[in-house]
Amino acid sequence: MSLLLDIVTTAAILYVVALGLLIVFGVMGIISFAHGAMLTVGGYAALLVTWAGWNPWASLPAAVLAGLLAGAAMEWAVLRPLYRRPLDAILATWGLGIVIGQVITLAFGRQVQFAQSPLSGAATVLGATYSQYRLLLVVVAVLLAGTIALVLHGTRLGLVTRAVIANENLAQSLGVNSARVRFASFGLGSALASLAGALVVPLSSVDPNMGVPWLVGAFMLVLLSGSSLVAMAAAALVLGAAQVLVSTYLNAVLGGMTVAVLAAVILRVRPAGFARA
Amino acid sequence: MLKLASTALGLSLLAVSAHAQSPIRIGVPIGLSGANSVVAPSVVQAAELAVAEINAKGGVLGRPLTLDVADDGSGAAGAQRAFDSLVFQKKVDVLISMETSAARNAGLPIVTRGKTPFIYTSSYEGHSCNRYMFVDAWVPEQQEAPVIDYFLKEKGAKTFFLIGSDYAFGRGMLSYAKQYIEAHGGKVVGDEYQPMDAGDWTAIISKVRSASPDALILSTAGGVPNVTLTKQYRAAGITVPVGNLGVDEGTAKTMGEDATGVYVSSSYFTSVDSPANKTFLAAMRAKFSDGLLTPNDLSVPQYEAIYLYKAAVERADGTAVDGVTKALAEVSFDGPRGRIQMNKQRHAPLTMYLGQVQPDGSVKILQTAKDVDPGEQCPNLK
Repeated sequence: MSLLLDIVTTAAILYVVALGLLIVFGVMGIISFAHGAMLTVGGYAALLVTWAGWNPWASLPAAVLAGLLAGAAMEWAVLRPLYRRPLDAILATWGLGIVIGQVITLAFGRQVQFAQSPLSGAATVLGATYSQYRLLLVVVAVLLAGTIALVLHGTRLGLVTRAVIANENLAQSLGVNSARVRFASFGLGSALASLAGALVVPLSSVDPNMGVPWLVGAFMLVLLSGSSLVAMAAAALVLGAAQVLVSTYLNAVLGGMTVAVLAAVILRVRPAGFARA
Repeated sequence: MLKLASTALGLSLLAVSAHAQSPIRIGVPIGLSGANSVVAPSVVQAAELAVAEINAKGGVLGRPLTLDVADDGSGAAGAQRAFDSLVFQKKVDVLISMETSAARNAGLPIVTRGKTPFIYTSSYEGHSCNRYMFVDAWVPEQQEAPVIDYFLKEKGAKTFFLIGSDYAFGRGMLSYAKQYIEAHGGKVVGDEYQPMDAGDWTAIISKVRSASPDALILSTAGGVPNVTLTKQYRAAGITVPVGNLGVDEGTAKTMGEDATGVYVSSSYFTSVDSPANKTFLAAMRAKFSDGLLTPNDLSVPQYEAIYLYKAAVERADGTAVDGVTKALAEVSFDGPRGRIQMNKQRHAPLTMYLGQVQPDGSVKILQTAKDVDPGEQCPNLK
């Protein structure tokens, strides 16, 4: 039973962490290397909330706001001039990631810090004692995915965004301001990354490199799922299950490598990954 | 003419006295960046205090001490550069520093080539031997026994689960723990390792739950892995006694309620109740005031090592390497951790404390073991 819970919660964490990256990749066609730094921004937003003595739940909106502002500023100042040069834009996100990391180090120092967790302790689920917070993350992952699906498929913004994802030139010729779509989606992607950072704080430490361990999993998930929310859910479950099973039955060192290796194998066999080719 | 001559005389006098006063240079290769960057600044502070105190009292044999601090990046490649520049370019008289095991191992060949005395002030996995190296911090034989004995006797623990980071220190500490537990009637029901930068302990925690041990022993790298593991086993509702071999007092304090109740073993806590420790803490506060970093089990040995070196130079009447290395085993110093003498195969018997982290973040000392022997560390070293 707890094995099943391990798999589902691990998949949920992977999903939450990769969601922001998926949005950016879907719309802009670039993998943002600043994703890890945006997770870190969310972690520090949670830290500031703790310092201010607010309710730990306030770290979630605070992280969204911080991510939105940072993402919008980055898009406006650095990425916008690089639209036609995607490779340079990827390098630019890498540089931005380093800059954010250093700014955080200067402001908060290198050391590990502690933000309060909104929920702690264990609950009994179907006869197994399990971490309440991990269970909560499953609910959060489903809610986030549902909200984004609703926005993409039920609003005008979503329609326009899907048009840009499908064919940017065609959408432009139909009068869609694709620059604004890119701006909105990079901001939203950054906000989601930052929110994920605040969400993993109770499992993680808050330090200037806190985003790094989550990066590989997020990259692999997005590579496997193209720009599909459903494909990413499938990929998260498969990779999460593989990681948990290998860690449990073989050993944890191999488990840590499983996500990257399995993703590479899947891409070799089926280049479209879990997305419908 | 007379005036000129007297100026010349004055100058040469000045030169002579400057020569007599030429400083004794202490090289400190240390991880100011990388994994050790969290603790390294506190170690440098301790070294600065020792040097300032000694210089204020007239130095060593009338010569002042100076510190040359070099960043080793906490790793092997950086350590080679740092040792190389300190030994061959700056030509320091001695190396005194806390470093990672990787950095120490990379630096030792340079120490041998440069024939420079080296006092290693970091607790480590043990059995590192070099004729120029002395160690004034603990090894597993000294640190682990108090925790394991306490769990076996006071807590009635029979089965243990060991979790560590996958590197020299983590593996070394836990292989000793396993051997010690099994030699004293306990049973190890599982031991698991993760890479140093790992942050997800899900599967290992599930294994702990299904093995349901009476106690947990953790020996991860300091900082991130220690914190993530502590948070995650807490959230999973694991409540058996936990001995954390890799956490320092400062981190335990900042972890707050997650660390409450955890057992730690150390040769130094700020709460050590001795006049020498009180004097030391007051001097640290006076020198660094608001910038003071909590003195700890890695910074205090650094402070004491500088005094041990001073005593050795005075006994050998100079900084020549043979005299100093001979004297280092003979001299002792009464520091914040008590009397320290590196006379056991270049390691030091130490008073060890078993502590438990309290809800307010302080460490309560439960047991004190006087002068615990480091055991056979370097039996083949002359």
